[in-house]
Amino acid sequence: MDTLAFARGPLFIATMSFMVLGLLRHIILQTHGVVRTLKRTPHQDVPWGRIFRKSAEWIVPVSHMSTAPWMKLASILFHVGLLLVPVFLAEHAFLWARGPGVNLPTMSHEFADQLTVLTLVAGIFLLGYRIFNRISRELSSRADYFLPMAVILPLLSGFLACHPAWSPLPYQSMMLLHVLSAELTFILLPTTRLVHVVLFPFDRISTEIHWRFVPGAGARVAETLRGTPEGAEV
Amino acid sequence: MAQTVMHEKATIRPQPESEKPRFPYHLINPVTENRVQRFLEAFAAIIEHTNYKPVLDQYARSSMKCSSCTTNCPVYTATHDAKDMPCYRSGLLLKTYRRHFTIAGWLRSKVTGDPGLVEEDIDEMANLFYRCTACKRCTMECPLGIDHGLMTHLGRWILGELRIVPKGLEVSTIEQLHGDSGNTSAILPHALLDTLEFLEEEIEEMLGLKMKYPVDEVGREFVFFPAVSDYLMEPETLMGNLAVIHAAGDADNWTIGTGDFDGINYGLFYSDHVLERVIRKMVGEVTRLGGRRILIGECGHASRTAREFVPVFGGDEVYPVINIMEYTLEKLEQGKLDLDPNVITDRVTYHDPCNIARSGWIVEQPRRIIRSFIRNFVEMTPHGKHNYCCGGGGGTVSVDELHDFRMSVAGKRKA
Ligand code: SF4
Ligand code: SF4
Repeated sequence: MDTLAFARGPLFIATMSFMVLGLLRHIILQTHGVVRTLKRTPHQDVPWGRIFRKSAEWIVPVSHMSTAPWMKLASILFHVGLLLVPVFLAEHAFLWARGPGVNLPTMSHEFADQLTVLTLVAGIFLLGYRIFNRISRELSSRADYFLPMAVILPLLSGFLACHPAWSPLPYQSMMLLHVLSAELTFILLPTTRLVHVVLFPFDRISTEIHWRFVPGAGARVAETLRGTPEGAEV
Repeated sequence: MAQTVMHEKATIRPQPESEKPRFPYHLINPVTENRVQRFLEAFAAIIEHTNYKPVLDQYARSSMKCSSCTTNCPVYTATHDAKDMPCYRSGLLLKTYRRHFTIAGWLRSKVTGDPGLVEEDIDEMANLFYRCTACKRCTMECPLGIDHGLMTHLGRWILGELRIVPKGLEVSTIEQLHGDSGNTSAILPHALLDTLEFLEEEIEEMLGLKMKYPVDEVGREFVFFPAVSDYLMEPETLMGNLAVIHAAGDADNWTIGTGDFDGINYGLFYSDHVLERVIRKMVGEVTRLGGRRILIGECGHASRTAREFVPVFGGDEVYPVINIMEYTLEKLEQGKLDLDPNVITDRVTYHDPCNIARSGWIVEQPRRIIRSFIRNFVEMTPHGKHNYCCGGGGGTVSVDELHDFRMSVAGKRKA
């Protein structure tokens, strides 16, 4: 089996399974966290309506565009492209048929190209923002530069593989780069901050329930630390 | 458990004299030995017994450091110091959590050689967590809803278990929980009675009406808890409260209890343990007096703590909590208060307290009251849920040594 066939076959299945299981693990752990939080506190009603409203507000954050509007616009575009292109690209249809056995609608080549270019531009803008915006730069660590680059790479290599005239590498090599970089993203998704892809729905749930404290917890903490339920102040 | 195994692996090195911390506030008796280990033990105990773990997991897993929150934080926008960025400050706690209490962080440290928490981190947290006023304005702009107010609260609690707490807060708490007076201003019951008598005379002089503050009356609907410092520093507020309650026809429907007459709860600022005990004390007083509802004065944090935490820490006695502004509006709308709409012609504005406005709880009520007797009401920008903290939030107003810092932040903003 040549390298590309290996990357497309067993390696793809392995990394994809790793991603699915890893993301599932996060969902299960976080759901468990929510259930446990509510179980341990007497204040148990959850304002689901507000949670859905707030989540929707952040999926399309038009009401939050007043500060750093270009960055937010780029971020929306980047996310939309990253979600739509890999899922609905005609060239990926075989993956869906081969794997879960579903036939998804596909987007036209022209649209896919345009969306890819927009997503790449947005991604590069975001990376530039991190580098050139003082506040962002001061807050960023190496991982904050590496992660956007890692998710841009499969998009860029996929685009170049589809447009050999612009590609600096032969088709086979570019394709290999595309597959391997996509597989790297599969591994990064459940192991880095990219996990926000699935934890997103929990953001607003946490916001609503995280001040639900546990009766008696303070005394138990004191007991653990000092062997008495008395406060630290005495 | 993994967490206890991992935190033992922290680097513990004695701190050289030259690096001994200098805190921006006074402390009573802080832990000075083995602070790294003590900090991690306190963190581990809190994780074990409370609900913070899922939130820490969520934040540690997904915080994107996108910087959106910075433009909303009054502290950062005043100082432009990278260390005042909300995500930087909370990041100190999150990286400690990740490194010492998650398997991934522990594994990563094996590769990178990250020593984990060190003495300097504790000093930095002790400093930075008291530069955040826990106003939660940043949370509104965080795409992931990260609540830095909560991280500040938790960070301060862990530090509090090492008695790294500003003296101004701890002294008051000790008096409230263990002192003879049982309140943060150390007002003894007989001094309270003298003050109330004095206020009754003042109000009679001012309005020509005889009104009494009911004390230790049993079976009344409302038991009243203002910020106790109002008895010393804001008597007009308490006179206003008395006048409103009288005018509304509730003169015999409320009482002040000499067992506990303090709505202040510094636990909100630095410790769940303090928070719970102060709430239990309040609930105990209402039960003693056979009251049915808790009426809180105008204090923002006192209102929020009672409303949010009586249902949590109050045990079986979940008394409904009402703030004096809610009460006033209710009476106004029932037609029980007859206010002259022209009585004040000066231009007036209203500054929302973060603790009651950020959640949208008390935003409209004061405005409706104000408009009923003030013609020239103007709004500041921003206001309501988007208000700026006055600078005294998170208990910083009670820490004299932080005065200059508060002025440099909120003073600038207000000007
Ligand atoms: S809670 Fe307020 S002071 Fe603290 S980081 Fe957020 S905006 Fe800044
Ligand atoms: S907005 Fe949220 S994710 Fe972004 S830097 Fe601030 S706290 Fe971190």
